[in-house]
Amino acid sequence: MSDRQKKTFVITRFDPDKDEVPKTQTYEIPVRPDWKVLDALNFIKDEVDGTLSHRWSCRMAVCGSCGMMVNGEPKLTCKTALSDYGDTVEVGPLSNFPVIRDLVVELEGFMEKFKAVKPWILRAKEKAPEEGVYRQSPAELEAFKQFSMCINCMLCYAACPVVGNEPDYLGPAAIALGHRYNLDSRDEGDAERNQVFREEGGVYSCSYANECSEVCPKNVDPAAAINQAKFLAVVDWAKSFVSPRSRKK
Amino acid sequence: MKHLIARLEPVIWALFGGGFFVGCLLMPAFIFMLCIAAPLGWLPEGALSYERAHALAANPIGRLALFVLIVLPFWNGANHLRHFVIDLRGIRSDGVVAPACYAAALVVTGIAAVAVGKL
Repeated sequence: MSDRQKKTFVITRFDPDKDEVPKTQTYEIPVRPDWKVLDALNFIKDEVDGTLSHRWSCRMAVCGSCGMMVNGEPKLTCKTALSDYGDTVEVGPLSNFPVIRDLVVELEGFMEKFKAVKPWILRAKEKAPEEGVYRQSPAELEAFKQFSMCINCMLCYAACPVVGNEPDYLGPAAIALGHRYNLDSRDEGDAERNQVFREEGGVYSCSYANECSEVCPKNVDPAAAINQAKFLAVVDWAKSFVSPRSRKK
Repeated sequence: MKHLIARLEPVIWALFGGGFFVGCLLMPAFIFMLCIAAPLGWLPEGALSYERAHALAANPIGRLALFVLIVLPFWNGANHLRHFVIDLRGIRSDGVVAPACYAAALVVTGIAAVAVGKL
């Protein structure tokens, strides 16, 4: 235990059966120098207070389930070193989401937004299996690869000022994902997705704050995706006057 | 009004984006020529004399360039100001802020069109 140092954790607690509003609870625990914030939460859960609820799974920044507010900033707790913080660390549930319990937030609305952008390959006519696979060059893959690295951790939704203001806003991750399919050479669904992008709560609700890209733990750069999507949605909208076919929903 | 603005978002964004382009790339050159190079005497004698400047501004391309240079940055500013206010004051303010910002940009567009037309 000699390499352990004491740190204080101020953790937001909320029990829907008992509490009207969230409250905070303080824990002082011994931490190791190489611990992440998630290690401390797991220590509290295992050794100090078994009633604490938090989501986590892979511990290697792949599953995207351990996103929380750490000292007021959205962070993946498995990727956030405790050594970057002082003696007191505040941990709360992700901003802009309804809280189910303690540090666990409701994902339902977020999932609906994902569905709205049709994040799958849309084609007018599918090839028959015997006709073979859809081939794609490395350059065509490169065009969208960055935007496909999203792990749905929702940190961008917690950081985005528009998500907080407009509950209907599609939000950074969903737009980046829709844009990823619009850029995919195998896909033919951009007119459909651009229609969704142009509706109220679509890409034009973005207020250029760039916070989504600042907090993204996978360097997806959703802000770039949103701005590219705005441009392509304008081009598509202009085209709809020239070719009536693309006006169809 | 809200639905009209929502339908016009692609146009507004195109004007906003155009304003960015003009403001970042063309405006600095314009400012350099008129506000730095001319007063410091770096331009040839009489390069910006009234007759030459007027002839440059009053030909059709000159008029178009001036119109774009005046109007697009205003649309950029109007859209930026609108979203800035939403971020600060919440979406409920948008019912007033969006029409006010875009009406101001429309007024400037009208004044610029008349002024450039009268050159």
